[in-house]
Amino acid sequence: MSVTAVIGAGPAGLAAAWELSRRGLPAVVYEQDDIVGGISRTVNYRGYRFDIGGHRFFTKVSLVREMWEEILGPDLLERDRLSRIYYRGKFFHYPLRPASALVGLGPIEAARVLASYARAQLAPLSEERTFEQWVVNRFGRRLYEIFFETYTEKVWGMPCSEIAAEWATQRIKNLDLKTAIKSALVRSPRIDGEVVTTLIDRFHYPRHGPGMMWERCRDLLAERGIPTHLQSRVSRIRHDGRRVVAIEVRAAARAAGDGGDDRDPGREIEVDHVVASMPLSTLVRVLDPPPPPEVLAAASRLRYRDFMTVGLIVDREHLFPDNWIYVHSPAVRLGRIQNFKNWSPEMVPDPRRSSLGLEYFVQRGDDLWSAEDGALVELGARECETLGLLRRDEVVDGTVIRMPRAYPVYDDAYREALPVLRAHLGGFSNLHVVGRNAQHRYNNQDHSMLAGVLAARNVAGESHDVWAVNVEQDYHEEVRAPAAGRASGGASGGDRLVPAAAAPATVEELLREAFARYDPIALGGALGTVAGLGLFAATALMLVRGGDPVGPNLSLLGNYLYGFRASWSGALVGLVEAGLGGFGFGYLLGRSINGLVGWHEIGIRKRLELATTLDPLGAGDR
Amino acid sequence: MTRRPANARDFELIAVAVARLRAGIMALVFALIGGIGLLVATVWLLVRGGPNVGMHLGLLGNYFPGYDVTWSGAVLGFVYGALTGGLLGFSLAWVYNRLAQRRVDRGARS
Repeated sequence: MSVTAVIGAGPAGLAAAWELSRRGLPAVVYEQDDIVGGISRTVNYRGYRFDIGGHRFFTKVSLVREMWEEILGPDLLERDRLSRIYYRGKFFHYPLRPASALVGLGPIEAARVLASYARAQLAPLSEERTFEQWVVNRFGRRLYEIFFETYTEKVWGMPCSEIAAEWATQRIKNLDLKTAIKSALVRSPRIDGEVVTTLIDRFHYPRHGPGMMWERCRDLLAERGIPTHLQSRVSRIRHDGRRVVAIEVRAAARAAGDGGDDRDPGREIEVDHVVASMPLSTLVRVLDPPPPPEVLAAASRLRYRDFMTVGLIVDREHLFPDNWIYVHSPAVRLGRIQNFKNWSPEMVPDPRRSSLGLEYFVQRGDDLWSAEDGALVELGARECETLGLLRRDEVVDGTVIRMPRAYPVYDDAYREALPVLRAHLGGFSNLHVVGRNAQHRYNNQDHSMLAGVLAARNVAGESHDVWAVNVEQDYHEEVRAPAAGRASGGASGGDRLVPAAAAPATVEELLREAFARYDPIALGGALGTVAGLGLFAATALMLVRGGDPVGPNLSLLGNYLYGFRASWSGALVGLVEAGLGGFGFGYLLGRSINGLVGWHEIGIRKRLELATTLDPLGAGDR
Repeated sequence: MTRRPANARDFELIAVAVARLRAGIMALVFALIGGIGLLVATVWLLVRGGPNVGMHLGLLGNYFPGYDVTWSGAVLGFVYGALTGGLLGFSLAWVYNRLAQRRVDRGARS
């Protein structure tokens, strides 16, 4: 019987293993770290549980939702969401509410914001090449400085003036068009009777954090005969040019990071399929024989943003009501604060205490990454005190969790390198790459899970394009199986929801339902034609019927139509003048309607932009 | 209908999207307005009464054979008004859609 090696015990790898187990196919999971879950792990420090970022369990993919429910059962809690922006000692709702933001900023700052906004509207920057220019043109410089600049630069580690404007426009992608319109018109929009959750105010979350999901998944897989080997690094993937034939596994010496123990000679294991979720650049380097130099060069050009959580244990029962807070203050280096007790009360063992996750967006090797843990805990406590969230002496303990390669960087190098790598790896019929780092794509947990499931189905003989997951422009997240089969290359399993290509007609329908303009010339032409021909026909009918005088009442139109009377020449005059009058009326009508629709569209667009550009990494990343 | 997220490209499409009129719906709406309008106008004059009831409205009889300002004429007027309104509405939408399509095609070619 064929054996599948799953590399990586994150959401993608374990979801693939889960799907293989459902189909009764043998598999073995190899994980380099000493913990499962990948970036969705939960680290237990003296009973206090810390996540790597925030992980809302929210998805539109029903097979993912079903998997969460099947594995977690009653331990999948439903929680309220509150997230706010912290700036100059005040909290502002996220997504931003313009009116309350202006009130919160105070009269002087609000006047500055309005003045800079007016200036941006009256005299926008002619160039929109950078993120800074793009935001300033839409919100004004002052609002940009307050709510965009500091946080974005913390996250990406580069000035906003060097970030491409394209990135900002790409943030307008996670809201459904219809939903956005509805949310712009009503406070609690509903679709099919359910409150729309795009700007989600409730979410699901495991009782003991996202790691609980993956620890339980690992245990259930073991019961089904699929073991997960921790601290096992795949150091070599041997192939014959068309297929992978074996992998070499060594003991990994460290709990985190890339390295392994080179003293371990490793053992070779023959495999029939490999589902790999290891970083793409590493995957290419462990191929044996090695790929051509241009492929290796492409792999070396991929960049990542690293991430660090400083966990604090605070001797206070309640700190603040938010699940997480965005910190826009330039006075501190932390970017986001998770209050894990508000995600689930059982994230802390002592209800009289709280635990915070202070998030620092870093680069491996920089001063923060390299600092001693004790110094980082001290820094975190000090920064929280600076923000007025706690007193330094309330921090009773702390820990540091470093997560290398947390976010793939979308830069020019990535754009050129990824197609080269995909083309090369696509040449191996039994190598399936899935997950955030293996696909170098900013997947949420549910995207990675779906990619893993589809890869497992490919192992089972189906044909799905895992690269099509999380490509919003082209894919729906929810389409019934028959349509999905058509889009994803055939078999879909028949009972689950899988992604499918969007039918072009759907886009057209959406657009027409939304903001399509009338063509004023065509509307004028139509009204002119109908009015002119109508008057001509009415006059001609009078003339054909005859009488003395002919059509005296109809001739009264001569008061408005110069030269018109009930005669054949008058009919022609009426045709022309009523036609012109009808055209003018129709043209003005079209222009007026379009103006009103356009005005309304601008308002909705600005709300969309405001709601989506504030969160460079996705609020409470799933 | 399935849903998909909006993106910047959608807004570009919106900017050039041209609305179409549905001829059937236009015909129905205009028919209702025309039919009910003439019915109400006729009934209104009949209820008001007077020496020469509906002297001017009755001139529509030149175009609508059998129509006059009476109760039976009101019913007949409803039918005529609806037919004429329906024809106007349909014609308006039909002409508009063809002109708009022609202009879109011309724009695409250029």
